Amino acid sequence: MPDVDILVVGAGPAGAVAAWQAKLAAPELDVVLLERDRAVGAPVRCAEGVGDAGLREFANPDGADWVSRRITDVILESPDDTQVVLANSGLGWILDRTRFDAYLAAQAAAAGAAVLVGAEATAMSRNGDERWHVRVTERGREDLYRARIVIGADGVETMVGRWAGLDTRVPARDMESCAQYVLQGIDFNPNAIYLQFSNAIAPGGYAWIFPKGVGIANVGLGLVALKTNGHNARQYLDDWVARRFPSGVRTGYTVGGVIVHTTIKKTYAAGVLVAGDAAHMINPLSGGGINNAMKAGRLAGCTAAAAVREHDTTERRLASYHKAWMEVLGEDHLKYYRLKQALEHMDDAFLNSLARTVNKVVPEKRTLGRVLTHAMIRHPLLIPVVARFFV
Amino acid sequence: MRRVTPDTIAIVDLAVCDRCGLCLPLCPPEALHLELNILTVDDAACTGCEKCVAPCPVGALAMVAYA
Repeated sequence: MPDVDILVVGAGPAGAVAAWQAKLAAPELDVVLLERDRAVGAPVRCAEGVGDAGLREFANPDGADWVSRRITDVILESPDDTQVVLANSGLGWILDRTRFDAYLAAQAAAAGAAVLVGAEATAMSRNGDERWHVRVTERGREDLYRARIVIGADGVETMVGRWAGLDTRVPARDMESCAQYVLQGIDFNPNAIYLQFSNAIAPGGYAWIFPKGVGIANVGLGLVALKTNGHNARQYLDDWVARRFPSGVRTGYTVGGVIVHTTIKKTYAAGVLVAGDAAHMINPLSGGGINNAMKAGRLAGCTAAAAVREHDTTERRLASYHKAWMEVLGEDHLKYYRLKQALEHMDDAFLNSLARTVNKVVPEKRTLGRVLTHAMIRHPLLIPVVARFFV
Repeated sequence: MRRVTPDTIAIVDLAVCDRCGLCLPLCPPEALHLELNILTVDDAACTGCEKCVAPCPVGALAMVAYA
């Protein structure tokens, strides 16, 4: 029975950074990082876009082999394909998640964490010895790990949270169903990401083009099933791609769920911390989660390391993780969620007229703030929400 | 948890399911499980609420008469 200090379940950005930072904070501890799939970083269930500033807290993208594309522009599109090129949209990157996740796991390993692939946690229970007993299946063999702290970084399914008695369920209105192709041989600006908003194309969400190179992009959409005509995300995507890129060659395909809610009420229990998608730490407006997951992973790893050193892994001790997360980003997500709820009321005719109005503003002043300001003038319902958002 | 419909439960078509896990947090009684790459429905726990069906990105879930 392997006895470890910190067992991290899931080697995505949250889990890999948690293992890495825990080991940096307390090199004497035994830290094990489990990945269920046969390779860290695969399959990719992600549009792979990330902001520059947040990314640089963890890794330098300049010249890195885990980057697919540097992004300098954001183009918003209305339902009738009117484009609004945002000014001052900031720098971003499209990652190669297969390589990026492996890079982060390698950092954890270099710091001294053990990384196991093809190892799935299937159950866990708390015994009288103040350890979690975690059942792990690896190549048909079962092991029982004893861990002082388990960090659940197991994504949208969030089984660790469930096993620890946390409420990780999500209402259907806050689940984006996503489908995405990698399309080759298509024509678009490879330095820009495109986001198209339309209730006919992607009800309750948006459709995206995220360049991986010249002529190659992640082309996908996310929608809220409650608002659809009965078709699923893949059918909506097929319709959109058929219209926009009828000659595009499909060389990849993925589906998945993005939780556009707010952080779960409690991200900790005795001997347990939950981080990243597993704790619903996703920006509910953008659906972005990579930088959030890394920040949460760092907090979880450092909190876990300190708690083990202090021989205090009680719920009371681990509560500081939740408080720190809420201060870093959790409180912002509550604001973004209110804004998302207000924006849901905009219909396609309104979005079309909004795009035309905004395009009358001189290009260098066409910022996201300006777009929202125009939306408010025509949609007074938004005013109190946006006012809170910008405070 | 109380049954929502008296006579239906969810079933999964494993030939269509992509194992993305999206449906798990949508299930109020937590009757869906993804273990060793297989999605299963706990028949005894499923309340027939249908909340998992429409959000599946590939349409792998459906409701059937409860035998």
